[in-house]
Amino acid sequence: MKLPYSLFSRRAFLNSLIGGWVAALGAAFISPLVKYILPPTPEPDQVSLPLAGLKDLAAGSVQGFAWGNKPGLLKKAEDGSFIAFVGVCTHLDCNVTYITEQKRFYCACHKGWYDENGINVAGPPPSPLRRLDVSVEGDALIVRKQA
Amino acid sequence: MSKRLRWVSILTALALASCLMAVILEAGSQDVAKAPPGQPAVKASTGETAAAPRPPRERMAVNVLLAWIWVSIAVLFWLIRLRVREADRVYRLGLHGPAVRTPKDTGR
Amino acid sequence: MKNLRAWFEERLGLDAVTGFLEKKEVPCHKYTILYYTGSSILFFLGIQIVTGVLLAFYYQPTLAEANASVARIATEMPLGWLIRSVHSWSATFMIALVFVHLLGVALTKAYRKPREATWITGALLLAASLASGFTGYLLPWDELSLAATKVGTNLPKSIPIVGAWLTGIMRAGDDVTGDTLSRFFIFHVSVLPLALVAILGVHLFLVQRHGMSVPLEEERKGGKGPVLPFWPNFAYREAGVWLILLGLLVTIAVFFAPGLGPRADLMAPAPEGIKPEWYFLFMFQTLKLFPGRILGLNGEMVAVLVMIAGMGLVAFLPFLDDRPAERKGKIITGLVWAGLAYAVAMSIWSLL
Repeated sequence: MKLPYSLFSRRAFLNSLIGGWVAALGAAFISPLVKYILPPTPEPDQVSLPLAGLKDLAAGSVQGFAWGNKPGLLKKAEDGSFIAFVGVCTHLDCNVTYITEQKRFYCACHKGWYDENGINVAGPPPSPLRRLDVSVEGDALIVRKQA
Repeated sequence: MSKRLRWVSILTALALASCLMAVILEAGSQDVAKAPPGQPAVKASTGETAAAPRPPRERMAVNVLLAWIWVSIAVLFWLIRLRVREADRVYRLGLHGPAVRTPKDTGR
Repeated sequence: MKNLRAWFEERLGLDAVTGFLEKKEVPCHKYTILYYTGSSILFFLGIQIVTGVLLAFYYQPTLAEANASVARIATEMPLGWLIRSVHSWSATFMIALVFVHLLGVALTKAYRKPREATWITGALLLAASLASGFTGYLLPWDELSLAATKVGTNLPKSIPIVGAWLTGIMRAGDDVTGDTLSRFFIFHVSVLPLALVAILGVHLFLVQRHGMSVPLEEERKGGKGPVLPFWPNFAYREAGVWLILLGLLVTIAVFFAPGLGPRADLMAPAPEGIKPEWYFLFMFQTLKLFPGRILGLNGEMVAVLVMIAGMGLVAFLPFLDDRPAERKGKIITGLVWAGLAYAVAMSIWSLL
């Protein structure tokens, strides 16, 4: 199909070609640069805690452990089972602590409260603390991301 | 193309080709950790880090990037050559100044 | 697009700049190729700043972590090794071009009146570039760079009166320590880049103000020789040169990426074969050649004073060569060539 006239001038065509190709060349650099600037800091798939260290944990109390770069909180329930949370407040990422007398988790930054199951009960937190799966395997307690 | 230009381009091509050969040979021997020049024969207990431990996938990505760079350079070079020739032509014809009076202006 | 441009021009008054650029002309003669060196240096400086910032994202300038953080960049971060390699090679290319630029200006005597101030700013830029190279060399904190820095910062000690004090300032004390690293780091990433950019601004302003200089023989022909408009003729050619340089830089950076030596130990004996970066080799060799005592004076002191005198000669060349067109000018040209031959010979000798 032959056009009666050109859609754009030769000058415009060549200019776009140059500009476009320079942009494509630049784009080739962008992807690795972005990967460099935002490196992945993935959370671990699982963390193994030796049971021996947890024997002395009283029922109803909480012990911290390292969950990658974040604090993990391991709580021994009244019946002796374990539940684990990621101890990071769901509001703005401050670290939370467990107040044993009140049986609640507390975030000091904006006075957020979570109950003993990690459900947000007072203050600004919009959602419960993130749960982690706990299972006993041999002589170690394995904490995993929730399936 | 003038004689001098032809010679310059032949020499440049030869130089680039020999560089390319050298780097290909160098790349072939890149698997072993490369010692920076002047390291003592008595080695410290802590070894040194290799320059670029590259997993095969990353290696391929780097080679692709390099190839793309050179292809782009060739294309952009050719386009720039067009522009330069045009700019030189315009200059030689004296058309690079402010627009001169065209026949249209005189109302004919 | 046109409206956007008009918006900026109305507020920033860029017409002055664009108008000037449109009128700027570049003379065509045998040595026109030297005109490309300046902008190429600027190109590599830009690359240095970008890659430098990227490296500083993960580099940690402390005694304990410096070497480990560089190792992390080189091994863990995606393409960190390439960014480090580009930074290292771009430094080499840039300083090489600075020397070519210096020689080009010196041999075509472009520093003659009224361009003496441009030369002085250029000499300051040379000093800042070399200082950047020197300070950057310590940052990986490996055996080689520690030893090279110890030697390099020891040199000023030989200067009478102010020597020990100068070395003390460079090293943050008597010895090279973690404080030295901090000091070198802030110089390398902040003080020197700021100084470089500021002096560069003056340098570029002066270059535009006086226009491009032509060699003496062209000047003698009288009148105005053949010229090329800067925009778009010369600018497009420069863009082509930049593209080639970019390709060469990345290719060489990929295939010749630098390694990292073991972490520096302040108590360990010096390793074999220490040497500075290539641009200091000729000074290094000169120092090695000076005997311990000369005419009853400390040999090292004489050597350092000779080097400072040499730097003074370079910095004040336009004032020494006040009659460039006559015999004195020819002698000075010969001396410049001799200086170059000396530097090259010394550099090669130091590698043997």
